[in-house]
Amino acid sequence: MTVASERDTLRPDTAPPSEISRTRKPRRARRTLLLLVAPSLVLLLLINAYPLVYAALQSVRDGSLINAGEYVGLENYRATLASPAFWRSVEFTLIFTVVGVFGSWLGGLGLALLLRTRIPGRTVFKTLLLLPWVVPVVVSSTAWNWLVATPQSPLPSLAEALGLGTPLFLADPTLAKITVCVFKVWISVPFMMMLAGAALAGVDHTVYEAAGVDGATRWQQFRHITLPMISRSTYISWILMTIFCVNDFPTIFLLTGGGPVDATTSLVVLSYRTVFQNFQVGPGVAIAFLMTVSLVVVSVALYRQIRKAHV
Amino acid sequence: MNTIDPSVPGRFSRRGFLGLGAAVGGGMLLSACGGGSASGGGNLKFWDMPWGQANYTAAAKKLTEGYQPADGLPGATYQGIQWANFSQTFSSAIASKTGPAVSTGGGFQAFQFAEQGAIAYADDVIDQFRQDGTADDFLPGQLDAMKTAKGYAAVPWQLDFRVWWYRKSLLDAAGVEVPTTWDELLNACRTLAGRGLFGFGTGAGAGNNLGSQGLHLMMLNNGGGLFDPDGKVDVVTEANLEAMRFVQELVKAKAVDRASISYTTDNLITQWKNKKVAMGIHTAGLDTDTGESDGDLQVMGPLTGPGGAKAGLVFQNNIMMYADTPSQKGSEAFLSYYIRNMKTLWQQNVVAGLPVLKSIVALPEFQAQKQKAKIIAEWAPVAKSFAANSKTLFGGLAAVDSSQPITQFAQTVLAGKDPRPALTTLQQALEAIVK
Repeated sequence: MTVASERDTLRPDTAPPSEISRTRKPRRARRTLLLLVAPSLVLLLLINAYPLVYAALQSVRDGSLINAGEYVGLENYRATLASPAFWRSVEFTLIFTVVGVFGSWLGGLGLALLLRTRIPGRTVFKTLLLLPWVVPVVVSSTAWNWLVATPQSPLPSLAEALGLGTPLFLADPTLAKITVCVFKVWISVPFMMMLAGAALAGVDHTVYEAAGVDGATRWQQFRHITLPMISRSTYISWILMTIFCVNDFPTIFLLTGGGPVDATTSLVVLSYRTVFQNFQVGPGVAIAFLMTVSLVVVSVALYRQIRKAHV
Repeated sequence: MNTIDPSVPGRFSRRGFLGLGAAVGGGMLLSACGGGSASGGGNLKFWDMPWGQANYTAAAKKLTEGYQPADGLPGATYQGIQWANFSQTFSSAIASKTGPAVSTGGGFQAFQFAEQGAIAYADDVIDQFRQDGTADDFLPGQLDAMKTAKGYAAVPWQLDFRVWWYRKSLLDAAGVEVPTTWDELLNACRTLAGRGLFGFGTGAGAGNNLGSQGLHLMMLNNGGGLFDPDGKVDVVTEANLEAMRFVQELVKAKAVDRASISYTTDNLITQWKNKKVAMGIHTAGLDTDTGESDGDLQVMGPLTGPGGAKAGLVFQNNIMMYADTPSQKGSEAFLSYYIRNMKTLWQQNVVAGLPVLKSIVALPEFQAQKQKAKIIAEWAPVAKSFAANSKTLFGGLAAVDSSQPITQFAQTVLAGKDPRPALTTLQQALEAIVK
């Protein structure tokens, strides 16, 4: 049913519309529609816009968690951008996001392709693969901590038994970065697998049959048929995972707390620590704002790719 | 699609529907904006942290519910608050005027909120305590620790110490005497390291402040600290440098587990349980944390530092009153009741902290806990606050304790790095935080 016909159905009188009513009706209908969505709009504004505006105000003030404080202009932003800790966090956030997005995408796509083949116990396999995504991060981070935290933990013990020394997965800054990134990929692969699986299900098999008849190899089919055909879904998954990674607090905070020596402090962890541990509300919110702006820019760029992508 | 007939009674017209929507939305808006007060159905709200084992909350709730207010004063309701994000919980509640009238909380929370105008000073309660003799029941110096330029920010109710512990069986097996000085400590650590044991058990991983607090204790033991007598950040001092160089010696002697900089509290307790740690700095509840009661884990006496000084680190946990209260007299009456009757919590042995009242220390139930009794007897007289060498506690301490710079500092020093640049970095970072 079209909007016009709906509008007609809603009209209480059935008399033929005069010229005046013809011009008034759409205006009235627009007003009705506006009034209908108004409650939702008001709620959305209260839930999203109000905190955002309030946070924006906090970022230009020298306040506490209770008091708004004095207006300091862009001082919080200047101090943030001049802070080496901020740029170290930017660097780690980039590493964490790039590894998290592409690591989980590659793993998810690989598993989705594998699950398209006729392997025995496919359903059980699928269910088990979903576990890392389903299990609460608090539980999985505790499990990972048990796996790697002390020299007597299973993985360091295994490495020692293999003659690789006793790696300190969470105490060595480089290894801690790698561990946190791998943990993120491990958690995120099931989600990417589901998205890739759904996209692959939409690819017409006859295209592969035609390509096979034309002599295309499996790699050529994947490269020139599968990837372009699922590109829209791929970009969406990248956008979502980029947002998930940049905003990911529990994965990092529960496993390393941002350490050792800030090696795994991402922007969101830095923002949290600045506001709630150092009680520097203005600078902490400024970090969050800079992070949000960057995220919007990246998301818009990826969204543009979706619009250009092959259907 | 059904048409809507405005003439049919009992069915919504378009305008009626919009009106209803507006009413519901408006109602939600009003309820969201309405806020609350520190009263809970006419009663005072008392917020309390989980200060002990699982049965603590039930005991504290029962104590609160046993409060019988005098005529005209409100009663009290109990609300347990988790440590996770507690600053956020309290701050948002206070800002939205839905916070408690009285609460326990972080050790420096009262001072922090007092500086922000959210605290009702406890001078009248303390005056009353002085008149009825309750003030004399407090351990020496504890009431004074709550004093600020504007008044008493809170009333202390229990003490949280950082002290040296040792596992007797491991020291006996290694033929090591319990150290009494830093030199003896270093020698003991070397002997223990030869047996693959750690003499300075600590941890500075996610959410674990024992690493930084242990280093702080070593500074205090050497006459140093984080602040000068005026409360200004004063980290780069010879006393602190000497203490941290001593820790560096301990690291070189393999007294510190290399992985400890990433240890959570659970990781550290596991290492104590697994008998990998022979000595270390911990809270008063180490034996409770490891689930041991056979006396193998024992508290050392305070060590004598190179300058001959002894010191401990203590956090004076307190009960505070808030400016937003349905009745200030009611808040004071409830706080007085709680302090006077809190001994039941120690009689039931549900509190991890140590008592601040002499009458509770003297209880047979408390004296039966030998390690805790030893801490009160030997460590309390020499213990210094987190603010040392400042004469008073202040709000900025809340931002220092467990802050990012102090954790980073602990991880750097415990990794064996040069302490001088680490102290300089800490000085700069703390100056930015403590204003």
